[in-house]
Amino acid sequence: MKKLSILLTAVSALLIVACSSEVKRKPGSIYMPDMANSRAYETYADHSNLKDKNINYNNQPVAGTVSKGETYVYHLAKDANGDTANYFASRLVENPVTSLNADELKEAERQYLINCGICHGEKLDGNGPLWKGGEGPYPAKPATLVGDAKYEAMTAGTMFYSITYGRNLMGAYASQLTPKQRWDIIHYIKLKQGKVAAAAAPAATAAVVADSTKATK
Amino acid sequence: MSKKRKASLHIITSFLMLFVAGFTQVQAQDGKALFNANCASCHKIDKDLTGPALQGIEDRWPSKDLLKTWIKNWPDAVKTGDAYALKIKDWSPAAMTSFTSLQDADIEAILTYIREWKPATPAPVAGATAAAKSEGDNSLLFGVITLVLALVALILLQVNSNLRKLADERDGLPVEAAVPFYKNKTYLALTTVILFIVAGVYISKGAVGLGRSKDYQPEQPIYYSHKVHAGVNQINCLYCHGGAQEGKHANIPSVNVCMNCHMAINEYKGEPLYTADGKEVNGTNEIKKLYEYAGFTPGQPWDPSKAKPIEWIKIHNLPDHVYFNHAQHVKAGQVACQTCHGEIQNMGEVKQFSDLSMGWCINCHRETKVQFKDNGFYSIYEKFHEDMKNGKMDSVTVEMIGGTECQKCHY
Repeated sequence: MKKLSILLTAVSALLIVACSSEVKRKPGSIYMPDMANSRAYETYADHSNLKDKNINYNNQPVAGTVSKGETYVYHLAKDANGDTANYFASRLVENPVTSLNADELKEAERQYLINCGICHGEKLDGNGPLWKGGEGPYPAKPATLVGDAKYEAMTAGTMFYSITYGRNLMGAYASQLTPKQRWDIIHYIKLKQGKVAAAAAPAATAAVVADSTKATK
Repeated sequence: MSKKRKASLHIITSFLMLFVAGFTQVQAQDGKALFNANCASCHKIDKDLTGPALQGIEDRWPSKDLLKTWIKNWPDAVKTGDAYALKIKDWSPAAMTSFTSLQDADIEAILTYIREWKPATPAPVAGATAAAKSEGDNSLLFGVITLVLALVALILLQVNSNLRKLADERDGLPVEAAVPFYKNKTYLALTTVILFIVAGVYISKGAVGLGRSKDYQPEQPIYYSHKVHAGVNQINCLYCHGGAQEGKHANIPSVNVCMNCHMAINEYKGEPLYTADGKEVNGTNEIKKLYEYAGFTPGQPWDPSKAKPIEWIKIHNLPDHVYFNHAQHVKAGQVACQTCHGEIQNMGEVKQFSDLSMGWCINCHRETKVQFKDNGFYSIYEKFHEDMKNGKMDSVTVEMIGGTECQKCHY
């Protein structure tokens, strides 16, 4: 009987070792987790219980306020569904960014490559990795920014409206790019289209420094 | 007809056929090119996008001429008062662009391309299942072999002592009373020492690992593959995690960032996906889960205010007594994401690559050379810049500019 129990223990221990999954689905235990779980209200903490504690918290800015340091205030609101009045009116808004120095242009190009290039292509030819000449996962052909008369004729204001609120299948980029970055990128596009003169920046065609954060395959 | 003449006729005919075949090929390609250049921004053949799906377009229109009129300048077609033109005018609030520059032949080529278009059949992926299964490690095998060898050694020892006993008996030497092996002091001591060592290793390993969660790979509410997004489709990390260059957190993207692309991409057609346990995942179903969070119905305009946040499970967690800032590392330090997060572009499900222990942080700060060149952030260290210019030193580590001071991270 005793021998049997020893044997059973050994076999079950072996089984436990053999069957434990290699995938670690639990974070593991912690010793004295005093400061491991933040007591402060961090960005992604659950804020739903604040009201019970009589704390009023609103993560939305007050309507009509302009954030500190914001130089380019945009007054056109998003069109209601089916309406195009503001989209049409946006063509008259002029780009407040009239020239960029070499560093600013490099930054605009970097932002373009991060946010726009995946669809509109590194060369602004509407052939980014998501379209890949129709082979990519994106079902619609992205706009050809350089070489298509329609987009070369599009004013900077219309582009700004489209980037801010989205247009057709393109989503809104207001949450990803500040108004300044948006105008800078539009200036960069217009420069590539040859619609605005390159400022006294001879480095307009300077190659972008390899981006450390770009996913390499 | 002479033989020679017959042969030459053959050659001419075959040339003619080749020419005809080549010509149709060219025309079909033209149709595709024209379609991609003019129509593909809004139309797909088998799916409604900004404009309706175009499959069977010629059957839907009462006449081809009217269709051509519509494509060239759609208000002209509406003016004819045709019922279908009036109906299709209100298909979407977005009005179709006029294509006055397209010739009849161009439109014909596009229509031919649409008529002859067939959905691409997904290429069978051989060996994907085998590749997905990771090669199991051999530690279990080695364990079994060790156990067997130990058993053999034990049996041999037992046999040895029995033989000696027999030999002693024959020589007429006094024989000790037989002691069963579980009461043998040598064996007991040996077992105790082995148990002590094994238990010690496990206990110290477990104690060191308390509060560290290297390799933590939780199941997320949606199977989101970094491999598909950052690897195959080459989306920059900063497209979604733009906060990494702006502040402390590399923010988790909100639903509207997902919907930037997934308003249009509503099915997954790439290589098969597997969870870390080896279960196959239906990518299209996972996109549908996103639509549930977003409150989006394909084919209808999306109202972002209906969206609910996706409750992703946080993997990398630092205790409150450590300050870590992404911008400092990504923007000022120019450190690649992969340095700390591993080959994220190859991960189907993300797992914690580094143990995020203090030793790991300090080690990196000791070894990493700061990018001093063309980096305005470090211009304040004038002496180091001068020394580097004079050749007194070739590089500066993070430690040299205070990277291992306690209050850098703990304050």
